[in-house]
Amino acid sequence: MKLVLSYLQAETIQLLRIPYVVIMSLASPGLFFLILGLPNAKDAASANVVMASYAMFAVLGIVIFQFGVNIAEDRVSPWEEYLRSLPVTPQTRFISRICMALLFALGAACIIIILGLLFSSARFALNLWLPFIIVLLLGGIPFALLGITIGYWFPLKAALPVTNLLYFLLAYAGGLWFPPQYLPAFVANISSYLPTRQYGEIVWGVVQGRPWSVWPWLWLLVYTLFFGILAIGGYRRDEGQRYR
Amino acid sequence: MTIPMKTQQAMSSRDQEQEQSGPPRPESVVSVQQVYKSFGTIQALQGLSFDVAAGELLALLGPNGSGKTTAISLLLGHRRPDKGIVRLLDQDPRQTAVRRLIGSTPQQTVFPSTLKVREILRLVQAHYPTPYAIQEMLTRFELVDLANRQVGGLSGGQKRKLALALAFIGRPRIIFLDEPTVGLDIEARHVLWREIRTYKASGGTVLLTTHYLEEIEQLASRVVIMHKGQVIGGGSVEAIKARIGLKQLRLVADTLPDAPEITRIEREGDTYTLYTTDADAVVRSLVKQDIHFRNLEISPLSLEKAFLQITGEAK
Repeated sequence: MKLVLSYLQAETIQLLRIPYVVIMSLASPGLFFLILGLPNAKDAASANVVMASYAMFAVLGIVIFQFGVNIAEDRVSPWEEYLRSLPVTPQTRFISRICMALLFALGAACIIIILGLLFSSARFALNLWLPFIIVLLLGGIPFALLGITIGYWFPLKAALPVTNLLYFLLAYAGGLWFPPQYLPAFVANISSYLPTRQYGEIVWGVVQGRPWSVWPWLWLLVYTLFFGILAIGGYRRDEGQRYR
Repeated sequence: MTIPMKTQQAMSSRDQEQEQSGPPRPESVVSVQQVYKSFGTIQALQGLSFDVAAGELLALLGPNGSGKTTAISLLLGHRRPDKGIVRLLDQDPRQTAVRRLIGSTPQQTVFPSTLKVREILRLVQAHYPTPYAIQEMLTRFELVDLANRQVGGLSGGQKRKLALALAFIGRPRIIFLDEPTVGLDIEARHVLWREIRTYKASGGTVLLTTHYLEEIEQLASRVVIMHKGQVIGGGSVEAIKARIGLKQLRLVADTLPDAPEITRIEREGDTYTLYTTDADAVVRSLVKQDIHFRNLEISPLSLEKAFLQITGEAK
């Protein structure tokens, strides 16, 4: 556990020393929220939904990039190769990565929440906050696995554009930028099959106090398994190529 | 000429007794037995076998592509052999527990550029149960003034010193050094040699690969020569020096020079290159034979060339 903290510390320092990256990854969802989100937040109810949507957009960005691009980078880094010769298990590295992603995802979501409370009429009932934060972070898991999949299956140069493309497409078509009913017909048709849409249904459900539905959870579980299998496959393939 | 393995082991244990009057049969802390490893169609290791005894400094010598780095990567647990046995302290090097007892340097000195020297030491230190204090490592490797500098701004030599400090920080029982002095200035090289001697004196075991004959003379208790993924010879440093301590004579002559001391002759037009262990005797012999030679140059053979010589013998 001490080692998890050491890695967490070292990785956080590395990130903070290049503030440009941190500010960009934390601030850009905020910017999107102010420009694209706020016009749709007309009353308290719609403002709550918009704020929740952009909080998801922020979490999505952090987990998908944190895992996707970082893993692709680490695969070609001689420093990572050296770290493998140290007495540390892959599990320890993985746990510190997850903690890191959670920490930053929470930070990015907080920025949206603060902006939402300041500039819109979004207000949650007190008893909604905890379930909201939990489903917000829990729903990020399949996308972390998607990120890992990209990180292991694509070379570094491809990982960045692929991650970017998927990030924006999934966010838009899943209804995180605009409510799904505003999407053009052909996008709306595929929207309900996307993991981001299911993620949205869960979080919106909590925010709006809708009755609990099992379907979006099942969908997301299927996606989690699917991305999980791809991620493990990618990891094995990479291990096989580099560390036979 | 290949020194048979039996002789080689006999020699090594004799060296051991002379050097450190320790136990008569030192335990073998590194063991590589009949190891095969290929990458695609490239056969990197083809039945490699050697042992390193506790407290010994074994130098692994061989031309580029002879499989030294592959051997070290197996010992560090990066890869697993296709066939054969690799053991550190009687354990599989892929086990985390045994890796607490070894130290190594990054293969290429590439560090996360935004971390400071002290922070990198701290991260690596956190992996070991009874490591040295960071301040002590900074002093020993002459990094005190650089402690709070980000690694991205260091010179190549400074990064190398940091890389070497990482091998020692965990108070390991075995240290692996792959070409440790490449890119080091003379002063830093002496710092490293001093550290290796201190470490050896405290009972530590070192496996190092190098291209410098001087480094072997200074440090090694035994040498193993690799070629094409196999051990083709080895023995005490004196024995190896005698074998690779060849001199090279270049001269221009009208007739083919000949002398019993010459081991090999190469010819390019009227320029001859002679290889010998005794340059003086060859010159005397040529003068006695009244061979008209001019532009005589005598130079020691580089280790690289000496390898070619030895590996040529092995064919």
